[in-house]
Amino acid sequence: MENKKNYKAASFWALFIVIFAAVPLVKTSDYQLMLANHILLWGMFAVAFNMLFGLTGMLSFGQALYYGLGAYAVGMTVRYMGEAWFLPAIGAGLVAAIILSILVGLLTIRLSGVFFTVLTLAFGQLVWQIVFTCYHITGGDDGIQGIIPPGVLSNRVVYYYFALALVLVSLWCLRRLVDSPMGLLLRCIRQNPERVRFVGGQVRRNQLRIYMISSFFAALAGALMAGVDNSIHPDMLYWTTSGEVILMAVLGGIGRFFGPFIGAAVIIVIGEVVGARTEFWPLIIGLVMMVMVLLLPRGLAGEFQLLRARLASATNGNRG
Amino acid sequence: MDLSFIFMQFLSGLTMATLLFLVASGLTLIFGVGNVFNFAHGSFFMVGAYLAYQAVSAWHTHFWPAILVAALGAGILGMLAESLFLRRIYGRAEEGGFQILLTYSFILVIDDLVKLIWGTEYKSLQRPAGLTGSIEVGSLTIPAYNLAIIGIGLVVVVLAWLILSRTRSGRIARAAAVDREMLGSMGVNVPLTMTLVFGIATAMGGFAGGLAAPLRSVTPGAGIEVIIDSLIVVVIGGMGNFWGAWLGALILGEVNAFGVATVPEWASLFNYLVMVLTLIFKPEGLFAPRRIRKV
Amino acid sequence: MFQNKHVALLCVALLVLAVCPFYASAQEKVIKIGAMYPMTGRPGQYGLDSVDAAEMAVEEINSKGGVAGYKLELLNTDTKAKPDYAVRVTKRYITEDKVHFLFGVVSSAVGLAVTEISKQYKKIFIATDHASTQLTTDKLQPYYFRVSNNTFQSMAAGALYLKELKQTKPWETLAYIGPDYAYGHDQWEELKYNLDRFGVKYKAVGEYWPKLSAPDYTAFITAIMKDKPDILVAGFWGGDTVAFIKQALPYGLFTKMLYFHPDAGGNYEVMQGMGAELPLGLVLSARHHNNWPDTPGNKEYVQKFFQRTARYPTYAAEGAYAGVYAIAEAVKKVGNPDDTEALVKAFEGLKIKLPEDPDGFTSYIDPASHQIVQVQAIGVTVPDDRFPPAKRMLGEWKVYKAEDLLPPKDFRKK
Repeated sequence: MENKKNYKAASFWALFIVIFAAVPLVKTSDYQLMLANHILLWGMFAVAFNMLFGLTGMLSFGQALYYGLGAYAVGMTVRYMGEAWFLPAIGAGLVAAIILSILVGLLTIRLSGVFFTVLTLAFGQLVWQIVFTCYHITGGDDGIQGIIPPGVLSNRVVYYYFALALVLVSLWCLRRLVDSPMGLLLRCIRQNPERVRFVGGQVRRNQLRIYMISSFFAALAGALMAGVDNSIHPDMLYWTTSGEVILMAVLGGIGRFFGPFIGAAVIIVIGEVVGARTEFWPLIIGLVMMVMVLLLPRGLAGEFQLLRARLASATNGNRG
Repeated sequence: MDLSFIFMQFLSGLTMATLLFLVASGLTLIFGVGNVFNFAHGSFFMVGAYLAYQAVSAWHTHFWPAILVAALGAGILGMLAESLFLRRIYGRAEEGGFQILLTYSFILVIDDLVKLIWGTEYKSLQRPAGLTGSIEVGSLTIPAYNLAIIGIGLVVVVLAWLILSRTRSGRIARAAAVDREMLGSMGVNVPLTMTLVFGIATAMGGFAGGLAAPLRSVTPGAGIEVIIDSLIVVVIGGMGNFWGAWLGALILGEVNAFGVATVPEWASLFNYLVMVLTLIFKPEGLFAPRRIRKV
Repeated sequence: MFQNKHVALLCVALLVLAVCPFYASAQEKVIKIGAMYPMTGRPGQYGLDSVDAAEMAVEEINSKGGVAGYKLELLNTDTKAKPDYAVRVTKRYITEDKVHFLFGVVSSAVGLAVTEISKQYKKIFIATDHASTQLTTDKLQPYYFRVSNNTFQSMAAGALYLKELKQTKPWETLAYIGPDYAYGHDQWEELKYNLDRFGVKYKAVGEYWPKLSAPDYTAFITAIMKDKPDILVAGFWGGDTVAFIKQALPYGLFTKMLYFHPDAGGNYEVMQGMGAELPLGLVLSARHHNNWPDTPGNKEYVQKFFQRTARYPTYAAEGAYAGVYAIAEAVKKVGNPDDTEALVKAFEGLKIKLPEDPDGFTSYIDPASHQIVQVQAIGVTVPDDRFPPAKRMLGEWKVYKAEDLLPPKDFRKK
């Protein structure tokens, strides 16, 4: 049973790697490469967000803060110090995310439920407003353009594999985390924090840890995105960006590890396809979302899993 | 800064505050009382503005009946949205996430429906005749419509507080926020209660939209702009606390009004600062009696 | 086992596919123009008008046989005014749809992101609306051409107007109110630069920075009334202009000071939206006026737009119209739409008669900055109901020579 599960998991990962590694080889345009890159980075962002939401039950509406932080660390460093600092800038962004997530986390984790959600939103907006207003330093609403990764990374295909490698490592780390004792503890925290305390678990400390981890990977996604788009904009810090990643997670299924990734892929692809055909995309996409929410309480991944399980039990003659 | 200017800024702050409060009042009802965060609250606000415009320009009603049309229309739309769609996600695990997703899809659909029906050209609603001028008190000029709005805001907050705290329906509505199941087992028709509460909340949004329309342009996209400000007011006032919302809006309005006059570059930050500070030091709202601290 | 919900999902998938008709195989000899405009939200009106005008131009040109044996084809995608989405759209246009020209955008933030990609892929970008001066000064790249005027040109004309005004209505103090982002700040900086450049003495008694799309200007209005400037310069656009004027009216602001709004104050959507509520005596301008110049060319353009769409155009439409005709001119000169370098040269030397050109003047592109050089006209609101539902239009025009309005070569955004 264990072996079957491992085999299934390994084959899924293998499939994932093969599909994404094949993109630069089978693509017919740079657009497809950029799309795949966006799916990878948003997918990682969504999975990292789900560490907070689906795993630990903390609905943060402010992860865009770290996503934007990563992007602006890279953007401002490159603007003021030149392309050569691209990679160190990513590192700087990650360090900044850790520090900021400790500060913000300490202040927000004291609260629960909707208060936590709203305070994370408030912090995100506060930082957005500062970046937007200090346009002499940050470029404000103009954003920053011309962010070209240096050396061999300036080749889009090379950069794609670079991002893919980092995303794979990140997803692997997060998967290990979910399967670890800490992951189990976080799941218990989601269900009943009181009980965890009673049996001696450290609730706050672990919530802070997962908040830091989630924010770390959000910043990585933003930093890498700066190199894909070659430009950044304060929108990346805005609450609607935090909202997008929530939508991706819920649509894809917060109960499954890859659910948010699938949600990200679906939202991006449908957005592209519908947006290219009609100006009334809000109506179409709104209706599609409504249907998915109403019919798929477990999200796309969750319902798919259920369907597979049902099919399997039907063909096995309902054998457990 | 002389005294008359301070008074003028205070009144400006009060006007801004009342408009903020009126928009946020529906949200504090549905969120604080119904426990549903209606992201699309701003869309009902926008629908109210369009309906008021439609009533006056196409059906040639007077201003105040048009505001009623706005409220009724938004209320009916809200009840439809709740009973046909929102109701189906109550009780789901992690309901919050689904609320966000579903109400966000409402925003998309309503925005495009408005665009399809009315187009993107700017529509305009004028102040009612009789309230177009201003009242001169010494060197001060106070627009009559602004005074009317301040008055209406006070009436709303008093009425809401009375109904919620003194009447049976109000108690039922408040109970629905705490424990829907228990309420149901006590014989109350919970689904109907939720639909009505949602409908009243969206009606208040539409009412605010109609009232605000003479002071703004009626354009698509107005919905998403008001939701964050409304949320700030709801939070610092305390969820479901109408007086709190009114006072919270007052704080925001005055902080803004005086910020604008003293430190214009940073005034825009104040809203978020107030929200952050409130949540850090008194998350249950500035005016709530108890302290809910967290797990 | 297959539940109803799976059936419903299948239907949804089919619905989504149905919205996406498969493209027919590419026709021969087509010039593809990849337009990007906001079609939703606040700037949606500009996008809609731009696309309508561009399609009108495309039809006019195609009905006359096209250009050099090619027909024009316009693609359009809603940018949602989001730079990160627009970047994807641009890549799709260039690498999948293989457009010959990038076209449009309303938001300068989007324009800046798109021009970056235009530079990388060497794809000509015809800018029809966004007005941030940077794109034709420090952020200029060889494949970018703008066919509508930038904020610097509007402000230069504004400064000249204010200089002349001193003769008839001597004024001393100015105040500025504008949205607190690049566009708002740029206008003020550029106005002050031009006032200094033309030797106009002024004293700035206040600056006010509401948020973009701030719904409430009351506190700003009372602060302005206290500061009592002779002239209030405004930098709003769209619905913000309407909201500000509506809120300021009962305070009698417009009787106590001159309201001066030279870049986007005179946009037709303001006059259409406010009708008779718009006060008389405001000094406004826009990048195109429906009622100026009173030439057959402009009248014909406006009437054709009205017949096509049952409404009168805002300024954005003329920019898009100009853009399509500019492309046609350039391709006609070069003979084919694929020789990008030759097209760049053709655009640099472009002279094109546009609806907004008065008699005796033809718009042309300045080869050094790739910015179109045009006459600006500033007017005052007067009663005029020839363009319903507007009840006011601009009149009492003052006209400024195009050459006086260009930024000097060394002008850089601070």
